Amino acid sequence: MTSPLFKRCAALSIVSLFALGPVLLFAGGAQASYKLTPYQSSRKNAGTPNSTMVKKNSDGVIIAYGDSSITYRAPSSALVTLGAALFQQNCASCHGTQANGVPANGTSGAYPDLVGLGPATIDFWVDSGRMPAANPRSIEANRRVPRLTHDQALAVSAWVNSLSPSFPLIPYPHLKNANVADGAALFALNCASCHTIEGDGDALALGTFSPSLRKIPSIEVAEAIRTGPANMPRFTGNLSDAQVNDIVKYVTTEIQHPNNPGGFGLGGLGPVAEGFVGLAFGVGVLALVGFWVGERDD
Amino acid sequence: MSDVINTKRSKQQALGRYGRVGKTLDELDDRLGVARGGRTFMDKIFPDHWSFMLGEIALYSFLILLVTGVFLTLYFIPSSAIVTYHGSYAPLDGQKMTQAFASTVNLSFAVRGGLLMRQMHHWACDIFVGAIVIHMARVFFTGAFRKPRELNWIVGSTLLILAIVNGFLGYSLPDDLVSGTGIRIAYSIILSIPLVGSYLAFWVFGGNFPGTTIIPRFFILHCLIVPLIIIGLVSAHLFLLVRQKHTQFPGKGRTEQNVVGSPMFPVFMAKTTGFLFIVGGITALLGAFAQVNPIWQFGPYDAARISYAVQPDWYMGFLDGALRIWPSWSFHSWGHTIPFEVLIPAVVLPGLIFNLVFVWPIIERKFTNDNAIHNLLDRPSNRPKRTAAGVTMLSFLGMLFIASSTDVLAKFFNVSLNDVLVSMRYLTVIVPILAFPITYRICHEIQALHGGGRRKTPNVVTRSEEGEYSATPSPRYVDDVPSHLEATPVPTYIHEESDESGDSGVRVVDR
Amino acid sequence: MTDEHRTPVSLSGLPANDPHLQPAARNPKLVERVISVCFVVGTLCLAGFGACYWIDAQPWKLGATMGGGLLFLGVGIVAWGKYLMPRGPFVEERHTLANSEADRQAFAAAIVERGGGVVQRRKLLGGLLGGGMGIFGVVALFPLLRSLGPLPKDTLQHTDWRSGSYVVDQSGRRVEVGDLAVGSIETVFPEGTENSDRGQAVDQTVLIRVSNEAFTTMKGRETWAPHGYVAYSKVCTHLGCPVGLYEQELQLLVCPCHQSMFNVTNGAVPQFGPAPRPLPQLPLYVDSSGYLRSQSDYHEAVGPGFWERK
Repeated sequence: MTSPLFKRCAALSIVSLFALGPVLLFAGGAQASYKLTPYQSSRKNAGTPNSTMVKKNSDGVIIAYGDSSITYRAPSSALVTLGAALFQQNCASCHGTQANGVPANGTSGAYPDLVGLGPATIDFWVDSGRMPAANPRSIEANRRVPRLTHDQALAVSAWVNSLSPSFPLIPYPHLKNANVADGAALFALNCASCHTIEGDGDALALGTFSPSLRKIPSIEVAEAIRTGPANMPRFTGNLSDAQVNDIVKYVTTEIQHPNNPGGFGLGGLGPVAEGFVGLAFGVGVLALVGFWVGERDD
Repeated sequence: MSDVINTKRSKQQALGRYGRVGKTLDELDDRLGVARGGRTFMDKIFPDHWSFMLGEIALYSFLILLVTGVFLTLYFIPSSAIVTYHGSYAPLDGQKMTQAFASTVNLSFAVRGGLLMRQMHHWACDIFVGAIVIHMARVFFTGAFRKPRELNWIVGSTLLILAIVNGFLGYSLPDDLVSGTGIRIAYSIILSIPLVGSYLAFWVFGGNFPGTTIIPRFFILHCLIVPLIIIGLVSAHLFLLVRQKHTQFPGKGRTEQNVVGSPMFPVFMAKTTGFLFIVGGITALLGAFAQVNPIWQFGPYDAARISYAVQPDWYMGFLDGALRIWPSWSFHSWGHTIPFEVLIPAVVLPGLIFNLVFVWPIIERKFTNDNAIHNLLDRPSNRPKRTAAGVTMLSFLGMLFIASSTDVLAKFFNVSLNDVLVSMRYLTVIVPILAFPITYRICHEIQALHGGGRRKTPNVVTRSEEGEYSATPSPRYVDDVPSHLEATPVPTYIHEESDESGDSGVRVVDR
Repeated sequence: MTDEHRTPVSLSGLPANDPHLQPAARNPKLVERVISVCFVVGTLCLAGFGACYWIDAQPWKLGATMGGGLLFLGVGIVAWGKYLMPRGPFVEERHTLANSEADRQAFAAAIVERGGGVVQRRKLLGGLLGGGMGIFGVVALFPLLRSLGPLPKDTLQHTDWRSGSYVVDQSGRRVEVGDLAVGSIETVFPEGTENSDRGQAVDQTVLIRVSNEAFTTMKGRETWAPHGYVAYSKVCTHLGCPVGLYEQELQLLVCPCHQSMFNVTNGAVPQFGPAPRPLPQLPLYVDSSGYLRSQSDYHEAVGPGFWERK
């Protein structure tokens, strides 16, 4: 005997089988077999740019890539003592007292080894507030209000650099001579693929994010380009100092103070925000007006 | 004093009862015979329900598109020739770009009112497609597409497709970084069609991507061919509407055999002209205060450049979303490749959706066996299956649309992009499946409510002398459509010579 | 005064005291005042628009004055129609569009009997005419399509990378082996195509340095990545967007359009997303002067799938 209920259940199960099949197929192909690791700096074995792009001084230390648009300066050695104290206070609990990534009771390899990374790297991470890290096990560190002042960050990098003098040194771009149009072209080719063409940043693969460039000081932009923090690739011999200078100028002028002659910039999200505005404020308001123009049924 | 009056009177008599206007109309009627048809047209009744205004938004935004578009063609140069920009916008100075891009930047910065016209054009397009969709939803959910209006449903659906296509073409014309990426994707989609794809792509693009012919070709399509078809179909849409007369919601005095509302002249004419102005005003205000598609920030297109988070305009979002979430199923064997990962979401899926839209009136008639002519509309809650089917389709498209901004969602909610994408794969299947029974249930609940779907009037609570409370519904709102009045016909009278008593006699003319 | 405003708007044919001719507003005088204000403001706005246009004001001023003007005028007109004109409701009879059976028969007869008779009596002529029109239709289609563009031939199957092509960046500078540090990425082209459309669309390649030593991304590719320089086609295998998004700690190349993720260290096999195939890898070598050059073209077609793709 087949009750209507039974028939219904059978029909429902067949329908749901057909419906869930694609879902399961989707799911099967969808799962990413990728494991996330916390900061694992690969900069220890960083290659040394040695091509014609590079200018070295008589001691063989790199002073520039291509030309003198950027001055690379090591932090003053007078700051080393202060830096050592600050490092022990703020950084040593993870990176170890010798900045080699081995904390007092930990094992080697758990945290990045900072020796030989160059003062620009240390200065960027500390000065942008990413270090000391809010959550040492997270995938990425977000920009925050820095715990150390600008000079204190310089001091920390001075001390780490004193353990094993290395480069890149801290870049000071000379923006007066930069060409903002060349910067725009280079930005579109090299930077927009992650940071978006408006410089807003977005979500990237597997929970990583590209940060917004809207409020980044020029030295940090140059540092990021030259050192490649976290997932960002570094730009070394493929961009001359003049080109980096152009990009920094473009970022600090046009990206950070965009030319919006057409009204409010709609957050730079592009067509998503535009579609929302068009539908909500355009069609929505007009439909409301239509609601007034026409009559309601009783 | 009497002289003056006499002169006036004599002049009036010479001109006839309706003065110069009447004289002009007489002359016209002598030649074209417009009097009777014109009178009928002035008397044409338009139902007043607000939802009938949605189609007008689309019509008027299309008018704005035409006007602003003509302005833009005066300054836009549809050419892929490479020029070096030396204009007023410094960050592009000295960059190489196509003439199309350079002229768009120029018309934005150097032409008076150019930027405003460009932005109004873009906003009017967003509104145009949006209004079509909403108008179409109204027609669908109220059953206005039923016999005898199936043909108009098909004309309207074709208009939606043409609007989307023309939107994409116009969006592509400036040849900026974002739209260039869109053209690149369109090329790859054409390429994905089995057997003929590569030939079609080469014919459309005049060779391998990007080539130099695509901008001029898109220009002719966008400014001439597609708009002409749209104008033709809009005319057909309106002609059918006049010929078949409006539908109307059921209500007091409304039957299948009449139309109740306001006459074309003067009431509806005033309302609709005012509405045209309002649509223009809102579009101009959006163009003034909301920046849209700032191509000077995107820079010129170059096949090696790319920006993250590029999205098409909103009406193409469902395609982009489908392309994002569709799994990587590709057929590759016997020396041939069928890219199902592109073909299904970008070609088959929209084809299925639009074909379903086209044949829906036939499908519904198959199910209901309803061959009668319908001029009265359904309340959506009274047709739960149709309503549920419509909500299912809309929620499916909505999920695809949301899937086109997975990166925005991941950023906003601070979660993994991959997780968002996988969830969207599930949701795109599950949400529409759930939407059907839920909508169906809600419709039945509304039906069960007393006076469901109507405006409620407050209950009047009275306390009897024994202290007992009782609630009775108060009378309907006095401000509503005057329901105490039965509708009255706008009489078609022909004025006859007045007889000696001075009373004007009337003769009802059967129309 | 008030009475004058209450006077119904006449609609020819209806007696003046017909209740359907009453304006809908309860206080027409007030409504009239509001509408007048709307019209005055709208007119001022539009005059302002003219002034703004004349002095070439900023776009937002142009839009605000024009939008405001149209909006106020529009609201005024609508209010006039809605509140001060006869409120009705009015009714119009709807006549069935269908004609009588006799009319239909006559119409059908005219077409079937006359037309059908003519054609059926001269079947040969009808067939010949139909054939001629059909051939014209088909033939007209071919030159139209054929003149639109060249045939693809095998241009989609290979790129301009040759054996020994120098690897250059977009400015045409040859890439030396010491240029990139580990973790760097650069967009490169075969020398001579860096400024051409085809070079940018088809030949574009991402050069990534993943290590200081020769790197093997897959079995059989031991010699393809000297000094850790790995080169993949920059054209996504999904829809052809440039895959320029490199995350160096995840070692992923991500397509910015639809988020396909390719594993750089493992032959760019897609890890996630809609891309069906790995990005083709370009075999490189370092010549005696230290320049990077390509061993050969890609071993498969780059970019999205198509029917002829082997």
